[in-house]
Amino acid sequence: MSAGAAPITVPPIDLDAAITASFWGRAIRDTFRNVGACIGLVWIVLLIIVAVLTPLLANTEPLIVKVNGKISWPMLRYLTPTDVILFILAAAVLIAAAFRRVSMGRRAMAVGAVLLITIPLAYIFVHPPVTVDWQEYRDLARAGRIQYELMAPLPYSANDYQRDDPSQVLQPPSRAHPLGTEANGGDVLSRMIHATRIALSIGLVSTGIAVIIGVAIGGLMGYFVGRIDILGMRLIEIFEAIPTLFLLITFVAFFGRSLMLIMVIIGLTTWTLEARFIRAEFLRLRKQDFVQAAIAGGLPLRSILFRHLLPNGIAPILVTSSFSIASAILLETYLSFLGLGPVDAPSWGQMLNQLLGVAGTFVWWIAIYPGLAIFLTVFAYNLLGEALRDALDPKLSR
Amino acid sequence: MRWTPSSADNVMAQPLLELRGLRIAFDTDRGQIQPVQAVSFSIFPGQAMALVGESGCGKSVTALSILRLIPSPPGKVLDGQVLLQGRDLLQLSEKQMRSVRGKDIAMIFQEPMTSLNPVFTVGEQIVEAVKLHQRVDTRHARQIAEQAMHDVGIADPDKRLDEYPHRLSGGMRQRVMIAMALSCQPRLLIADEPTTALDVTIQAQILELLRNLRQERGMSILLITHDLGVVAGNADAVAVMYASKVVEYATVFDLFDSPQHPYTEGLFRAIPRLGRPGGRLATIAGTVPSPRRFPSGCKFHPRCPRMNGDPLCAQTEPALREVMPGHWAACHHVQGFAAKPITQPTIDFRRPAVPPVVEATQ
Repeated sequence: MSAGAAPITVPPIDLDAAITASFWGRAIRDTFRNVGACIGLVWIVLLIIVAVLTPLLANTEPLIVKVNGKISWPMLRYLTPTDVILFILAAAVLIAAAFRRVSMGRRAMAVGAVLLITIPLAYIFVHPPVTVDWQEYRDLARAGRIQYELMAPLPYSANDYQRDDPSQVLQPPSRAHPLGTEANGGDVLSRMIHATRIALSIGLVSTGIAVIIGVAIGGLMGYFVGRIDILGMRLIEIFEAIPTLFLLITFVAFFGRSLMLIMVIIGLTTWTLEARFIRAEFLRLRKQDFVQAAIAGGLPLRSILFRHLLPNGIAPILVTSSFSIASAILLETYLSFLGLGPVDAPSWGQMLNQLLGVAGTFVWWIAIYPGLAIFLTVFAYNLLGEALRDALDPKLSR
Repeated sequence: MRWTPSSADNVMAQPLLELRGLRIAFDTDRGQIQPVQAVSFSIFPGQAMALVGESGCGKSVTALSILRLIPSPPGKVLDGQVLLQGRDLLQLSEKQMRSVRGKDIAMIFQEPMTSLNPVFTVGEQIVEAVKLHQRVDTRHARQIAEQAMHDVGIADPDKRLDEYPHRLSGGMRQRVMIAMALSCQPRLLIADEPTTALDVTIQAQILELLRNLRQERGMSILLITHDLGVVAGNADAVAVMYASKVVEYATVFDLFDSPQHPYTEGLFRAIPRLGRPGGRLATIAGTVPSPRRFPSGCKFHPRCPRMNGDPLCAQTEPALREVMPGHWAACHHVQGFAAKPITQPTIDFRRPAVPPVVEATQ
């Protein structure tokens, strides 16, 4: 029976590929082994998709319309420069992600270049109408003059208040308004969709500012030590003594309720944590043999700082910054809840603000849905931060 | 004090590197310490010079100060010169110094496991070093890196270049460090205990590699070690350091045949010998003094078997004198010590290459 035994074939194990991964490759892989991190990432990616596609998801203006035999795209006419920039940026990121053979740094630079070119061009060439006639196409439809129209899935823009129509005000969730309406007739889901942009940008931009300042100051402190370190430490202590929320309220009172101002102030007052972390990392790394070896090899300061210290010391910053993003989102929410958030732009906190009296009564759909969105977003960033910390800390992960 | 070459110096080859009376101080919270005092020696082209001594005797500080890698503050050079082919490195600007580091003098460290940057591949790190010191494009730099990896005995260098350091063993990483140092073709390689962290077989391979590279390329090596076996097998000239000073300096043969300083004698007695009847290994009584509390006079006198209550030893510190032609020592109890001349220690000696063992044919 065993005369013609087939040779045993062992499937080749790709051990090489399993351990070839770079430091960051391993860190990312370890991070997303964590279920919580995956859930967090799914939620944040979902928010990003919604934020990019906002005008296609919730819009009073039809995407395509045929009136009197003429086809037009009203949605395109009403696109803002922000919409255009986000579309192009998303496209650039997707294209860059497809070129897997090009190095990560080069792809990031290409996306950055696209962004730098797009921003001024978008502001020069894209001019949506200043006043919007929300009723234009609804009236045409009612008059029966529209032969064909393709609407967004949710046919209401965020600022499309229908307060003149009492049947649309403070409605509980229904087929027309999946998450109900507000006191002035705004669709809750539409406003929540439009608010994702603020929720994402407030966290990313303010933390981005904080990381840049914190890494620059903390890095200099950690590498040069001595007098620079002492001065930097006093600076950190001064900034840590500033109560961010009260500073924000004061600035908003004097300089108006601008989203940019809020982001900059949050960034300028929260960099100290990042600075402390990067300082500690640089202090540890500058004594390490590979840094000493790099100096002994005659490498210039630029290379020591940006190739040897920064990539090895940035990991804790990623962890703190995901927590910083979460707390920046909460800060904006507090501010909006107090009625001091960005004017006119819908935000989750500002929707909660309606519960303070505008609605006149407790309205559960206005309380629960925006509240849930805030909770999930903050939770998602915290989950990501925790998983990153576990992945990057060899003592905890092994 | 300017050094003027005498007629004898013209005959001899010029040393590649010369240390003259180097004195280094560190400011600490509890006052100043001087871990390196009046250290002088020279290294000639193609020579392997060993700097020997116990932990904390100042040998690593000496090596680091050649490349000016002493953190300053708290460290500073109080006195002395470090001459690379007659040019004082201590007088160079930081920018000029950067072109010396890696290009003229390269250094490899004790701990290969942490000497490579974990976030870049081995190839990226070597290529960066090559491009810095030689005006070549990336592709050419990669070829140089590949050749260097080949020269240090790494199999499949093309593939290894794309690996991250964590995939390589300790011996392999030390080879990579040596390859990185060699890729810029330095004239002097400072090896700070290059084999201490490696196991014995790898240690032998690395030392043999260094020996071969020196013979092939005429590169000089400053070998810092506390292992007298390594010294015996590799060095041409040896400087023995004790408590911040060079106490004896001679060719490897002179030193092993007739050690002049009691500390060197003590070191040799402490080497275990095969085939000798057991018993306890001889040790040097006492401990190495801390730089904070160096003894007065000769720093070795509290532990010295020759002292015998001689007040001279406790009061006056002996200078490094040429006790025999080409053999320097610092001990009052060497015969006729006071009359010996104080000269700049230079030993232009290379041991004859060991001929390969040929089996006798009948």
